[in-house]
Amino acid sequence: MTVSLTLQNVSAHYGPTKVLDDLSLHVGEGELVSLLGASGCGKTTTLRLVAGFLQPTSGTIRLGDRDLTRLPAHARNIGLVFQTYALFPHLSVLDNVAFGLKQRGMGTAQRRAKAKEMLERVGLAQFAERYPANLSGGQRQRVALARALVIEPPLLMFDEPLSNLDAKLRVDMRVEIRRLQRANGTTALYVTHDQEEAFSISDRVAIMNAGRIEQLDSPEVLYSRPANAFVADFVGFENMIPMRAIAEAGDGVRAEMAGGATLDLYRSDFTVPGRDFIFAARPEGLTVAREGKGISARISLRTYLGRAYQYRCNTPAGEIVANGPLSDPLEPGTDVVLVPNPAQCCLLKAESR
Amino acid sequence: MPVPAPPTGRRGKNKRLRDRMNPRLFAWVLAIPATLFVALGLGLPVLSTFATTIGEAAGPLQPYIAFFTSGFRRTVLWRTMEVSLITTAISVVVGFATAWVVARAPGRIKSLLIIAAVFPLLTSVVVRSFAWMVILGKNGIVNTALLGLGFIGEPLSMLYTEGAVIVAMVYLFVPLMILTLVGVLEGIPRDLTDAATSLGATPAAAFRQVVLPMAVPGLIVGAVLVFTGSFTSYATPQLLGGERQMMMGTFLYQRAMVTFDWVGASTIAAVMTIVTLATVLVMSRLARKLNPVTG
Repeated sequence: MTVSLTLQNVSAHYGPTKVLDDLSLHVGEGELVSLLGASGCGKTTTLRLVAGFLQPTSGTIRLGDRDLTRLPAHARNIGLVFQTYALFPHLSVLDNVAFGLKQRGMGTAQRRAKAKEMLERVGLAQFAERYPANLSGGQRQRVALARALVIEPPLLMFDEPLSNLDAKLRVDMRVEIRRLQRANGTTALYVTHDQEEAFSISDRVAIMNAGRIEQLDSPEVLYSRPANAFVADFVGFENMIPMRAIAEAGDGVRAEMAGGATLDLYRSDFTVPGRDFIFAARPEGLTVAREGKGISARISLRTYLGRAYQYRCNTPAGEIVANGPLSDPLEPGTDVVLVPNPAQCCLLKAESR
Repeated sequence: MPVPAPPTGRRGKNKRLRDRMNPRLFAWVLAIPATLFVALGLGLPVLSTFATTIGEAAGPLQPYIAFFTSGFRRTVLWRTMEVSLITTAISVVVGFATAWVVARAPGRIKSLLIIAAVFPLLTSVVVRSFAWMVILGKNGIVNTALLGLGFIGEPLSMLYTEGAVIVAMVYLFVPLMILTLVGVLEGIPRDLTDAATSLGATPAAAFRQVVLPMAVPGLIVGAVLVFTGSFTSYATPQLLGGERQMMMGTFLYQRAMVTFDWVGASTIAAVMTIVTLATVLVMSRLARKLNPVTG
């Protein structure tokens, strides 16, 4: 059974503090959506609201055609995987996995068989009789996953499930989570502060800030076409240069920046002459060259990245971080030109923060 | 310039005991004062008590046979057991409920609640027992209130009953239970009850299947504290039970200080020691059975 999850105009408060501000979110059938943001952005609050551990002050939460908003947490039938794993320390691995089946009134023999089967799927059948204290972090997370999956919930939720694992295991586990979620076709909501994790595992990612969703899109769109300065900064557009379009120039537009320097750019919807906008570029979106068409700059610092050199450059519009080829190392003090590489740059509305 | 090696201690002129001994032996040396204190202050008196019951009597087990064949003494032992068990049971229920509220309260309120729970422990047992005499007496608060409201025609005699002793003992010992359980319940992460709930456990089921088994170690420690405290108490049964509700503690005092029956008094003391010890053993066995991981 696959269903969709819909949050409509949901607000939530901790005492007088508003932690979620009129949030709407739709997760399609079988889709995995991540909530991504720094701590305090409201992503965990959103998950706790859907789980039923918190009550929204307004708005509705629906799962398929069921209205969850006022349903007690234990009646929601949602599989939840915690950052701390939250395994029951007094129960064996098998009894941990069978816990949800027991609550559903399934007989002992049947639920043990089913739990065992699920443990086999996550490769932990031989640990069934152990206690959680005797398992490694990765194994515990697998048990937590099995425990959430065995009740065959229409919705799976993950609260920073990989934060307590080491880097290598994190990659393995996220592949495994994605594989199991795909195989079951379960709709899933995934909370994380790790951009790489969110982008690699999700169909769509919601970037959250101060209790709102700044942008909800596929990882590809978020990465190349951020909707505003917050998202652009979040996905690595380190340089944000305010500009004003002054004239049409061939297929594009001629823009002027602080200090009077001009730059010819490809056209974007709001770069009509006279309009202010922000030119956003990743360090690799500006190539440091001895000559060419671009922003004039002087190198102040060079660092070695392995795949390229990175330069901090002084320009009339402020400090800009840009990359240059390994074949041509340049010394601090050299006058250079920063040539834009359109694929790694984008234009943002000036009125966005 | 070469850096001189640190002094090894063995070469130094004023060698220290710590440096000359191997560390494990030194640890034992550190334990000597406390060991001596316990051995002289506790071990010897207990041994001499047991020795008295065996050495100074007609036969080796004669005082114990006398103890258990006397109907009166059996009644006192049984009453003490009964009062202590009921006190423990009530303290478990009352203490658990209170501890649960305290453990889940937000920081500042929690500190206030804990202070409130500890506060009675700061006054003397005698004073606290005496307070109950004032409350339960013929002209006490309870009787005055009931008379005034017209529920009863003449004052109830509540003092010098088992009930009075139990009420006062619960009041005395419940803070110990609360403190022990708050520690244990605070150690149960909220994620665990959340996880149980998300898996479909009703609040009652989550409590029974997760909170209760995890609280077993605290329950056992608390129960042992309350039971042994009640079983060996003297002031409370003396003040609120009197001669009519004699318990082991008051009985022991009477034998030793009123009738100067040293063998009899030692026997009572020995029986008390054995019962308390047995209770602790049974309780910890129970804990291991109920919670295989933490017990």
